[in-house]
Amino acid sequence: MVDQKPDMGRWVDEEARAIGLPIAPEYRADVIVNLERALVIAGPLLAVELEDELTPLPVYRP
Amino acid sequence: MSDVLSKAATVADIARAVSSGKAKASAVIEAALQRIAAVEPTVNAFTDIVADRARKRAIEIDAGRHMGPLAGVPFAVKNLFDIEGLPTRAGSKINVDGPRAARDGALIRKLEAAGAILVGGLNMGEYAYDFTGENAHYGPSRNPHDPTCMTGGSSGGSGAAVAAGEVPLALGSDTNGSIRVPSSLCGLFGLKPTYGRLSRAGSFPFVDAFDHLGPMARSTLDLALSFDAMQGWDPDDPACTDRLADLTVLGLDEGIGGLRVAIAGDYFATGGEPEAFEAVATVAKALNATRTVVVPQAAAARSAAYVITAIEGAQLHLPRLKTRPQDFDPDTRERFMAGALLPGAWYVKAQRFRRQYRTHVLKLFEEVDIILAPATPRSAPKIGQKMMTVGGVELPVRANLGLYTQPISFIGLPVVAVPTRRPGRMPIGVQVIAKPYNEMAALRVSAYLEKQGVCVSAPA
Repeated sequence: MVDQKPDMGRWVDEEARAIGLPIAPEYRADVIVNLERALVIAGPLLAVELEDELTPLPVYRP
Repeated sequence: MSDVLSKAATVADIARAVSSGKAKASAVIEAALQRIAAVEPTVNAFTDIVADRARKRAIEIDAGRHMGPLAGVPFAVKNLFDIEGLPTRAGSKINVDGPRAARDGALIRKLEAAGAILVGGLNMGEYAYDFTGENAHYGPSRNPHDPTCMTGGSSGGSGAAVAAGEVPLALGSDTNGSIRVPSSLCGLFGLKPTYGRLSRAGSFPFVDAFDHLGPMARSTLDLALSFDAMQGWDPDDPACTDRLADLTVLGLDEGIGGLRVAIAGDYFATGGEPEAFEAVATVAKALNATRTVVVPQAAAARSAAYVITAIEGAQLHLPRLKTRPQDFDPDTRERFMAGALLPGAWYVKAQRFRRQYRTHVLKLFEEVDIILAPATPRSAPKIGQKMMTVGGVELPVRANLGLYTQPISFIGLPVVAVPTRRPGRMPIGVQVIAKPYNEMAALRVSAYLEKQGVCVSAPA
């Protein structure tokens, strides 16, 4: 769970730089809005506690 | 049986008439093309019409070739299906610059092998990241029941084409609700089969973990006829099941005897408008269902589906987001960009959670056979509407029309979206949810509701 709201502008700028995604100034504000929205919607998932043994179901079949 | 040349003609009506020689496939196709020409300025369902191909195919059927259970039935597909010779738009402008499809998608080939005739490709939300049916490049698909309203999406053109009576059958895709949401808002029967049941080969992906393809129609029988024709293992889709086809048409009249039906409570009983819950109550009453069950951790499931969708979708489109951001629909661009910036740890947690949630829900299906839930939190919003109030809370339309569908497709359960009868009011649907690979149970319930007159679909 994210306890303190992160600096969303900095998140967008730094992460976009790290993955090489140029975000034009005219798109930046809406990217921040969508990231904030994702943070809210992800809340219930982030609040769940999972046992260590709970691994993802494999889908790859050799 | 309706006049097979009319907009009310069903898949079953047409196939019966063409197979028996009472109607010509060529006449059926000409009637469909005329309806499309007349209605398109209003509903904007189609992006591509393959009239020459359809006419040629119809002539072949009238000559006795390709006869099958869908003989002469016109159908159309969401434009993320490959159509030989056309670019696979997937609702985008960017893909039009890509290669033309070398052959039809697998499900088109299967439907045509059964005698159906493809008439075109249908409008959709860009790259399927959509619940509205709006599209900045091609214009919004419009709801035939009120063209000022949304069709729902992302299979918006599929919803509009069938609800307007342009074609009796359309294929859509459903990753988080994109068959069930437009079926609800356009008043159609829609089948999202079990994950892996139908081949996705020859379709443009969105989120491989949840991508499903399926039919939308105006009767349960039409869903079953097309579903049966499309089943079967396909080595070209790694997720496609190698189970034997489970044919459904002959089981539709079995009624609901022996089926334990429950209503989803908790998450699925809050957060929507009264009309959504009234629709569930109407269906539940007709089925004599009084038991309420709690789908455990449904809110977290919706949350996890959102996270996986955002990250997988963004990763798929990252090269295009880097090089052609200006060519995206503004309503998807910044959402994709935000998805590219989410932590990988969230993705893995969502996948780990999926296993836990699946275990809990399968346990629930030891006690019940069918779970009823709203399909959408409200009937169709107006085109262009960005925010909606549902359950007393103001939420963005685009991200939230699928809040009841997401926790279900998240673990690949089969669902039939059924349209409740609401004379004089905009349509709204109900999800009839079954355990994996039991499409038959959901279709039986749908057929029963239709027979009782509780669920009906008529062209606008």
